[in-house]
Amino acid sequence: MIKILHVEDDADIREIAEMALSLSGEFDVVQCESGEAALARIEGYTPDVVLLDMMMPGMTGCQTLERMRERPEFAEVPAIFMTARAQHAEIEELLQIGAADVISKPFDPMGLGDQIKQAMQKARVSQMA
Amino acid sequence: MPVVRMQTDIAISAAIGCGLATVWYGASSLLLSGSAASFVPAAGAIAIAGILPPPLAARRSEKKAEHIRLSMTQRLRALNQHASINIVDRANRLTEVNDQLLALTGYSREELIGQNVKVLYDKSHRKIADDVRGFLERGQTWQGETQLRRKDGSILITQSTIMPLFDERGNWSGSISARTDVTRTNELMAERNTAQTLNELRDDIWIVDSETEKFSYMNRAAKARFAIKDHEYRVRDLGEFGKEHEIESVLQACRALRKDGEATTQFEASLMGVPMYVSIKFLPGAKETGRYLILFNDISAHLEQDKLKSAFISTVSHELRSPLTSIKGAMGLLLSGSAGELPDKALALLEIAHRNADRLVLIINDILDLDKISNGQMDFDIQNVDLVDLLREADQANAMLQQRFGVDVALEGADTPVPFRSDPHRLLQVLTNLLSNAYKFSPPGGRILLTLEDFEDSVRISVKDQGQGIPSAEQSKIFDRFADMTNSDRAAKGGTGLGLSICKAIIESLGGTIGFETTEGVGTTFYFNLPKLPVLDAVDDMVHKRSA
Repeated sequence: MIKILHVEDDADIREIAEMALSLSGEFDVVQCESGEAALARIEGYTPDVVLLDMMMPGMTGCQTLERMRERPEFAEVPAIFMTARAQHAEIEELLQIGAADVISKPFDPMGLGDQIKQAMQKARVSQMA
Repeated sequence: MPVVRMQTDIAISAAIGCGLATVWYGASSLLLSGSAASFVPAAGAIAIAGILPPPLAARRSEKKAEHIRLSMTQRLRALNQHASINIVDRANRLTEVNDQLLALTGYSREELIGQNVKVLYDKSHRKIADDVRGFLERGQTWQGETQLRRKDGSILITQSTIMPLFDERGNWSGSISARTDVTRTNELMAERNTAQTLNELRDDIWIVDSETEKFSYMNRAAKARFAIKDHEYRVRDLGEFGKEHEIESVLQACRALRKDGEATTQFEASLMGVPMYVSIKFLPGAKETGRYLILFNDISAHLEQDKLKSAFISTVSHELRSPLTSIKGAMGLLLSGSAGELPDKALALLEIAHRNADRLVLIINDILDLDKISNGQMDFDIQNVDLVDLLREADQANAMLQQRFGVDVALEGADTPVPFRSDPHRLLQVLTNLLSNAYKFSPPGGRILLTLEDFEDSVRISVKDQGQGIPSAEQSKIFDRFADMTNSDRAAKGGTGLGLSICKAIIESLGGTIGFETTEGVGTTFYFNLPKLPVLDAVDDMVHKRSA
């Protein structure tokens, strides 16, 4: 099972993502409604991948990742951003700060699982390099 | 030729009091005859002057008469020096002109005598000659501005007084005109009015001599900006002033304007920290000289508004994406059967809703792109790219649409790699747009040809469909925003109405051109040409970003 930490403030999107990811039975999804909640949740829990919404009230996705990266066990956990501001330049910026991938909203729920697995694979390859 | 009789100094004085032309009327015979000796009384003349002469003493002394003649001659000389004078007969033919008129108009006496007086008038004012005639026939004096034309074609504005002449029986026999050249006066008045208007403007205006590069004018707004008093600017030159206020670009633009022989130039610059739109016009003067008219339009409010508008568009567009994520996500899960099997009718309706949610996403993306284009903020990521790969990717990316519209795509000229340097993401966006248009407008089973032509300095990519073609009325606006939304049939096919205008902006930003060829009932070919940039080695490959 791939452990996913999904941080998203929109409850509907959280539900759709969870439903989509549960279909294959390959993912174990933990969900948080904010960056602050996510930071509290990771005490004693290290996921295989983090799925982060960019624009959230309070801490943004970037700020949340920055705080997570302060923990040694999170140094190499792949982070995937989900954003409604998926313009080319913005995607480039997120990749620059270490995102394994950027998923544009609206996303295809049926392809979400594959997209996450591909990003994890890509992150593994780049870590090995 | 009228015979004018005048016998009293009172009459002459009265006539003089009524204006130069009136004097001239009374005295015209002097010019005509070259002597003041032939004066005889003329009741008509006096009547026209509006003053009835008192009964004249039958026997005036010779001394008195000589005095009158002398006085008259002096006044006539003065008048002759001052005004341009002509006399016409009943048929409006010029019978006499004075030297002033000849000097003013550039004609010789021989060229004018016997000609209709209209020869002196500018075409636009010839009707006035007819109106004046109406006045004269009624025995009235006409006064006003007349626009004449010199022999060399230049315009001459005169203030004219035109009076009727009468023969000894009191019958109307022609007219006499006294004209004062007011061309320069009018110009000065216009200049003064212009200067007043310029002073009232909120824009800064500089006028700079092109030879000396010194200021010859600054309006009130410009003087206030630099705390310049009165005419202090006249000692300043543009080079030194530009350096002092960090606006050297103005002098450079002025010099370039003259060097290139252009009349105008515009650019944006900062003046004392204020964003300005600068317009410069070269006003040619005599010989090689001229003046630069430099206008600074404060665009800070405009830029601020643009920024707010962009922020608003961006926020609204992005805020729309969140609910759309849920809508599309939920429908996607339903369509996949994750929530159980759906009846066929429900599935069909759900597909319609899903398709339109997709369309809404496209519209939002296009609006964001257009906003970036409008603000010159569209990013370009120039990299090495194989155009053949790109064409195949575009074809594959649109496979679902091909299937939906039942069309077939053939690639031509895509056998060997064509290395190129451009922004693959933006090119893919253009190709996707052109291809999806081709699908939508092709008949079911239609064939679309995607062609790559590799020339020495450029490449051309074209998308040819077998659709109905573009009606001639729509061709000129095909790259306008929402051009295809005027046609409800096209809207129904799922277009956003923005795609082609975005394609045009992208291709032009990449230094290329876009166009189409169409035949109604046969099909349309959209194409774009891009210049070749040097392809860099992969090691040296750099990401170049530039604004549109």
